[in-house]
Formats: sequence, C-alpha cells, structure tokens
Amino acid sequence: MRIDQDRCTGCLECIDFCPMGAIRQSDTGGTAYVDQDACVECGVCLRVGCCQFDAIWQPELEWPRILRSQFSNPGVSHPSTAIYGRGTDETKTNDVTGRYPPGAIGIAAELGRPGVGTRLRDVETVARAILPLGVEFEKDNPTYFLFQDLEQVRMRPDVLDERVLSAILEFKTTLQKAPQVLKALHRVAAEIDAVMSVNIGSMIEPNGSLPAQKAAEQAGFHLRPNGKSNLGLGRPLVQGPTGGRE
Amino acid sequence: MTHTNHRQGTVESLQRDYVVFIYPARGINDQDAGPKVERFLQMAFEHGMINAGPARTGDRFLVDPERVVNRPRGSGSAYAVFNDKEKVTALVRDLVREDMGISIVVSGLFDEVDDVCERVGIRRHTAQCSLGISGQIDRLPPDAILDIATMCGHGMVSFNLVRRMAREVARGQTSLEEAGRILARPCSCGIFNPERARELLQHMLTEGIPQ
Repeated sequence: MRIDQDRCTGCLECIDFCPMGAIRQSDTGGTAYVDQDACVECGVCLRVGCCQFDAIWQPELEWPRILRSQFSNPGVSHPSTAIYGRGTDETKTNDVTGRYPPGAIGIAAELGRPGVGTRLRDVETVARAILPLGVEFEKDNPTYFLFQDLEQVRMRPDVLDERVLSAILEFKTTLQKAPQVLKALHRVAAEIDAVMSVNIGSMIEPNGSLPAQKAAEQAGFHLRPNGKSNLGLGRPLVQGPTGGRE
Repeated sequence: MTHTNHRQGTVESLQRDYVVFIYPARGINDQDAGPKVERFLQMAFEHGMINAGPARTGDRFLVDPERVVNRPRGSGSAYAVFNDKEKVTALVRDLVREDMGISIVVSGLFDEVDDVCERVGIRRHTAQCSLGISGQIDRLPPDAILDIATMCGHGMVSFNLVRRMAREVARGQTSLEEAGRILARPCSCGIFNPERARELLQHMLTEGIPQ
C-alpha cells in the first residue's frame, strides 16, 4: 500500500487500522507513510475507507511481493489454489470430502497469527522440523506451492524474505505420529521470529471422543474449550464414526 | 483451516459467541449451491443473526441485513454470527429439516454445540480445536486485547484499533455501540461479533485498558 503525500493531510486516522503497525508518521512533514518492509499488503487501510482524502492507494504488485497480498488479504485468491484465505476447506467440508478419514489427524500451524506477521522464511523453518516426521503435506494449501524441493524442504529463495500477515502449514498424520509432530512444533516455535497458532482436528468417535484430543494430551497440550464442529449435514456423506442424523 | 478456530476468551464470554457456516465443497456439491447459500443467509437472518457475510467483497458488516441476504452471489460459503445458543439451536433445527446437503459448521464452545446437536437429534461429524499460541508470545498484547482481535480470523482487526476504541469509549468520544461497529469493519468475512466486542470493551473499562 502507498499513501499519496500530496493528498495526505496528516490527520493520522489510518494509523490504528493497520494490523502490522506499518503506517507511520513522517518526521518531516507530519504526514502518514507506509513502511514498505512492514506492510503485508492486507489492504485493510484501503478497504475500511478510513482516509476521507483518498490518499491511500494500492499499486500494482509484482512477484514476489504479490505473495504478501495473496497471503494477507482475504479478498485476494491464491492463483495456485483458487482459494481465498490462507488454508483449505479442511474440517468445514470433511463430512463430504473425507479429507481427514477415520484414524487421520489434521494439524495446522499458522505462523504469524495472531497479529504479529511472519516472513515466509519461518514457514520453511517449521516445515523442515515436521515434514521428515512422516506427515502428509496438504497440496491444496498455498504454502505447498512455494516449496521447490520438498525432499530437502526448501522454498524458492526469492520468496523467503516476503512478509505476510500469516501463512498456514497444513498436513495430516496418524494418531500414533501426531504427539511427536506436536512436540516438534513446540520445539521449533522457539526458533522462529514469529508467533504460531496451532490447531488439531479429526472425525469424532461414536462414543463422542475426539482422537485429536487424545493425541494433543499425549503431547502435553490442553485443548481450548471452543472450536469448529462439522455437523455432518453435507451430502454425499463420507461415512465416519459419527455425524448427521441419528 | 483456522478461520474461526482461534477465538479466545473466557468460557463465560464465549457462551455468547457462535459462528454458523454453510460451506459447499468444490467439485462435490458446489454446483448450483448459490440458492442454498442464499436460503441459509435468509434463515440466519430470520433467526436473529448479529453479523453475516460471505468473504471477498469486503463490505460485510451487517448495517443493512437486506443487503447481505439479497446480494447476488455465486456458490461460495457464507457465515452468520449469533450471541444466543437458543437462536443457533433453532437455526440448526431448521437446517436439518431443510436438508440442503451442504456442509454446516458451528464454531463455539464444544459443550454448547454438543448440546445443540443433541437437542435437534444429530451428532457432530468432525471437530477441530486450538492448541493455543507458541513462539515469540512476548510480542502479543494482553488477553483483553486478544479476546477482541481474535474474533477476526484473518487478523484484520489491529491491536491498536482495539486500544483506541477502548480509550475513546472511556473518554466518551465514542459509544460502545459505535466502537463495536468500527471494530467489525475490517473483518471482511463478517465473522466478528460486535456485541461481544462491546461486552469486552465494557469489561475493559472496569478493569483498566491494557497497553
């Protein structure tokens, strides 16, 4: 994003709307400007209409900076997946896709969330810690397409310094391997220059238990009391242990 | 994968925070799903949703319910926010009755959603839960700020905007209602709960505005 210095009056109304704190006041003229390194091109400042002088504008973005917009602005889709947002449909449609079948554990590590942002370099660091543990990387997730060598877990070098609001590593594994994967995520979190929000999911057992919860507890994690529940009303229904009408 | 999954707060506060989704699956049941998504929004409106929206066009705060419900759309997903479990129960009961065949997801406290399902005679199929935050957590603001900001799953509501609204309400420059509306504006999916934001701001005024 940019701020037209001829239009900006220095009212600074826009500053607090920026999730990354990338809008600053210049030392010289008192007007607002966008720190281009800190800006993740999420577009909030433009979309909320906080500038009554139309000083905020979106320049055309080129590779690799355009990745900032694709990962940070929910109104921009990823060309690689044609999906808006940062992940996949996962749990939301698991009753008809069977993306996480019985016995599978889905895990998502979202770097940069909440509200801190991340360099794509850190996504590579986390991927390197977990991919060798036998997880299946989600191919419909936009981070997948940034890796040029999955065996060596290397991203394209030209994207590593790009900064985004958040990016999700999304994968599935087995109930047996999941605790080890979660512990590895916990260890690697100390090595990255960002925060990381992690979640875990699975189909629900007939007795109402959640295998994902068992895996998390084995790894020493406590689940929050809230989250997403797929009610099993989609059709054609993938037969899981439970779901839909009784 | 995480859109509404990391909403944080006390159990007491989360008891008034639910997001109900309809989500066509690409290549499976998304063809001709548009009218069903429209119907979902209409039903959610009739059951008293307090915010709603599909993603993408960026102007989803529910200032005009007709605009949200009647907007021409494709076959994408839609979201409706509620602050009352009874209204969610009534909506889910009607959704079961209509049998649209499109995936329905409820974000909220698992115990409460389980109770909703039991009352309407269904069982949950799949669940996903947050394990919290790790990494450089010293960069995060206090929970009182996060409880509000995490209601936008894409991180569009800045910590500084929450602080500013709290300060403006404390000074009498902005009403609680207006502060809730302003905080909801950046959330382009319409999953932000402005009424819960007002409650949390009110609590913040009592406890002190965190930095």
